[in-house]
Amino acid sequence: MAGSFGFAALGTGADALASNARTRVRYWNLFSGGDGANMIAMLDAFRTADPDIDVKDSTLQWGNPFYTKLAMAAAGNRAPDLGVMHMGRVTGFSPGRLLDPWDVGLLAKYGVREQDFNPKLWQRGIIDGKLYALPLDIHVQLCFYRKDVLKKADLLGDDGRMIPVTSTDEWFDVLKRAKAVQKKGLQTIGLWTNDQNFQWWFFVAFYTQLGGRWFNDDNTEVLFDTDKATQVLEFLRRHVTDGYVIPGAPTGEQFVNGAPFTWEGNWSVPVFSGAKLDYGATPLPPVFGSQATHAESHAFVLPHQSDRGGATNEGAHELAAYVVKHALQWAAGGHIPAYTPTLSTAAYQKLTPQNEYVGAMDHQATEPKVWFAGSTGVLAQDLGPVVVSSTMGSARPDKVAGTMKSHLTKLLASKNPMDGRTAAQGGAVA
Amino acid sequence: MTTSAHMTTGAQTAVAPARARTATATATVRRRQGFQHGGWFVAPFLALFALFVIWPLLRGVYLSFTDANISGDDASFVGLDNYREALNDPAMWDALGNSAYFTLLVVPCITVLALLLALLAHNIERGKWLWRLCFFVPFLLPSTVAANMFQWLFTQGIGLINETFGLDTPWLTDKSYAMLAIVIETLWWTVGFSFLLYLAALQGIPEHLYEAAKLDGANAWHRIVHITLPMLRNITGLVIALQILASLQLFDQAVVMMDFSPGPELATRSFVQYTLEQGFTSYRVGYASAMSIIFFVIIAVVALARMWLLRNREESGR
Amino acid sequence: MTTAVQVRKSPRRPWTPSQIVLTLIGVAVSAVFVAPIAAALLTSFKSEAEAAAIPPHWLPQDWTAQAWKGLWETGNITNWFVNSLVVSVCVTSVVLAVSALAGYGFARTEFRGKTVLMGIVMGGLMISPAVLGVPLFTTVQQMGMVDTYWGMILPQCAPAAMVYILYKFFQGIPRELEEAAFIDGAGRWRVFFTIVVPLARPSLAAVGIFTFIASWNNFLWPYMVTNNPDLMTMPNGIATVMNSYGIQWAQLMAGGLMAGLPLIVVFVFFQRQIVAGVAHTGLAGQ
Repeated sequence: MAGSFGFAALGTGADALASNARTRVRYWNLFSGGDGANMIAMLDAFRTADPDIDVKDSTLQWGNPFYTKLAMAAAGNRAPDLGVMHMGRVTGFSPGRLLDPWDVGLLAKYGVREQDFNPKLWQRGIIDGKLYALPLDIHVQLCFYRKDVLKKADLLGDDGRMIPVTSTDEWFDVLKRAKAVQKKGLQTIGLWTNDQNFQWWFFVAFYTQLGGRWFNDDNTEVLFDTDKATQVLEFLRRHVTDGYVIPGAPTGEQFVNGAPFTWEGNWSVPVFSGAKLDYGATPLPPVFGSQATHAESHAFVLPHQSDRGGATNEGAHELAAYVVKHALQWAAGGHIPAYTPTLSTAAYQKLTPQNEYVGAMDHQATEPKVWFAGSTGVLAQDLGPVVVSSTMGSARPDKVAGTMKSHLTKLLASKNPMDGRTAAQGGAVA
Repeated sequence: MTTSAHMTTGAQTAVAPARARTATATATVRRRQGFQHGGWFVAPFLALFALFVIWPLLRGVYLSFTDANISGDDASFVGLDNYREALNDPAMWDALGNSAYFTLLVVPCITVLALLLALLAHNIERGKWLWRLCFFVPFLLPSTVAANMFQWLFTQGIGLINETFGLDTPWLTDKSYAMLAIVIETLWWTVGFSFLLYLAALQGIPEHLYEAAKLDGANAWHRIVHITLPMLRNITGLVIALQILASLQLFDQAVVMMDFSPGPELATRSFVQYTLEQGFTSYRVGYASAMSIIFFVIIAVVALARMWLLRNREESGR
Repeated sequence: MTTAVQVRKSPRRPWTPSQIVLTLIGVAVSAVFVAPIAAALLTSFKSEAEAAAIPPHWLPQDWTAQAWKGLWETGNITNWFVNSLVVSVCVTSVVLAVSALAGYGFARTEFRGKTVLMGIVMGGLMISPAVLGVPLFTTVQQMGMVDTYWGMILPQCAPAAMVYILYKFFQGIPRELEEAAFIDGAGRWRVFFTIVVPLARPSLAAVGIFTFIASWNNFLWPYMVTNNPDLMTMPNGIATVMNSYGIQWAQLMAGGLMAGLPLIVVFVFFQRQIVAGVAHTGLAGQ
């Protein structure tokens, strides 16, 4: 029975057989965990708000499988109607070839306008004068701390928040004092020491704090400062050598069990809130003097379809606009909503610890704007493992800084395979 | 085919003398029947083979000389650039090294383990079906399912392996353990196949050889060393060859157990994984094609080396 | 055809000390082999919180079928199951048909260029999606078959190994059987279908079983050629598509068992044939 059913569906897929008179919008996202639950709740709300649109959502594993599959689907002209991407990946995703531009008029019809967004953020989505990425949020790397532990070590200020830290010495002093009072057998801080993504994000944050640069404005020259990089790498490494980290130990679980600190993305907020912890979250400490923490944005995109248009396309616009505008639920996942009217609502300002780190959006450390950058992009893939090798002690920090520079030199000279241009030639950069 | 007749079909053995007798008749029939239609028998297969094996190979060769990307748009000719870059790409050598390291660990372990399991199952008189079932059943699981199971078993903190053996090893997150974890998973998952080959070969060893040895007073150990192992030489060659070819193509287990990452400090990124990354993540189809062709040459060399070894052994009249 | 692996009917002999020791070792080793599957099964009956508990434990404290229920309610698993079935059945049928014809053609018919073609086909033994994945993908992309059943099925339908196995078998069939029929006036095709195919049934079964297992479990090619989660097969879907609530180990184990169980059940019932089939196809590689 199933066999003959399948034969009938050859070439189209079993799912296409489900007949449906309504407008069907196929939507791919990369949200799992708490984000996934929030997204589903928002989609359900949308389904109630507009029952004429049938949202068919699919969640793929985050990271490379997602981008690979999205690119291949767009290249093979079998793309979904709506997708989600990281802002940093948009430039390398060959707008115009793998992505279609948004119809700004159509977005306005559903209530989303440029003036409702941080101008810089909106500009990141514009390439060759057209909007390719509609920002949904800003997400940042945070220093989570347990108030119950820090209180015992006298590390909380009068406002009940962690005392400010402005230098590496102060930071390690904080760790030392926390370690003295914490539960034995646990690490003092979770640092994702062997995760190439987190280590890369932390590196970007602290390198930016030091005022380090990547390339000159024309993207013709590498300005990577190996001394500053070495300083950052030594700083990360010292957490391991001073015994504040158990390499490989699961970070979130340790924190829930009583470890005083963990550095995580803001998406861990629902996890820790769900565990009913007494905790706070600040941007990564400005140990090198200035505020900066790694930040990225989720954005809606229209994967390329040669016959894009009609009711399905309009449905995709309506859905994206709805989710962007109703992002309070999304903020529960720890993200800072990109739609600024949400930020000024009383409901948002009451959210903790979100209200403690909302200022992070003004001190964003981002990757350089080149085609090879972006979440799990070529740059992160190349440099992430190198940073890990330093933090884990397989290679010396100064040597690693040199390796990073040579990688950057090579990448800057390389051509974007999608259009054959280097970063200096403006390979698909706004 | 180099093994003794028992491996093959009964029909084949029975036929040999008959064949000689009817050789003349065959020739006559062949002429009369007009065998030129034979091509039609192979046509359907050859069509598929040409489309999905030969054409991709030729296409791969062509693409490897271009800067083609994933979109399928026009590409331009770049000569030997891709090959030059590949051979100077430390990451490629690294990935090749990882695949080779994996092969080096897996092949001897699986061969020995498969042989021991087969000897065990062959020599226990009761419940043969049960041993066969237990040792072979992992092989029936999809690679991703087996990998997911071990990913969970190996995860520090929540995994049962550390718990059961009283360890606290960072199997999946430390570069010195990651490949080991994949090797252990692979042993469990695929040893059943080689086990079955050995078991079949064991059952094909004529009983009278053992009887004769027993009469000569050989004990069990001697019988294994002097009868069983020599009789298993060919099958061992086959097991090793198949395992080398399969292990060099490491991909499924590694990516699933490492959550589609290249592993801690790139420790588990295999050649296949790196090639696909270049093609589908960096969109460099031309470069990835060049690596595919390099890999094809490596595989071909291994396969030809085995043929050459076999022929040499036959000629030396083993 | 006598199959390579046979259950030998030996008379029940009394337990000797060496048999007792061997049996005990057998039990211990079997336990190690079954343990991961047992752990997966037990975990699929835990709650998600219990499945990720530190420290872990083997037996569920509270037995619950929520993971299995959730699998049916939230996932695409029924789609994947159907897709797997469609793909495996199609691949197996096509492979059986074309490789039987080709094996016979190469073994028993004459045509121009046969030797050269056979050589080329043997060369094909060295090519797999792992070796030539990227060019194969672009070929299939050019044909417009990315994200279709055809794209998943057809590239799995040209296995040189299966042709070689059947070629070896057909070479061993007595020519007189065919010749008698020729003299009676039967044509090449009739001989093939009425005499050769029935004789080859055990070999065909072996090839069919092996192909089905390989195709059901295939990950790499379906992974490369499908992007649409609705079109994925079981191994691919389980590995790449997480449901929207993160890694849920209990559900992942339940899904994995669902992908693995059909073959395991079939194996229990057809153990002898499958063992013979796998051994036969494997051994033919010599």
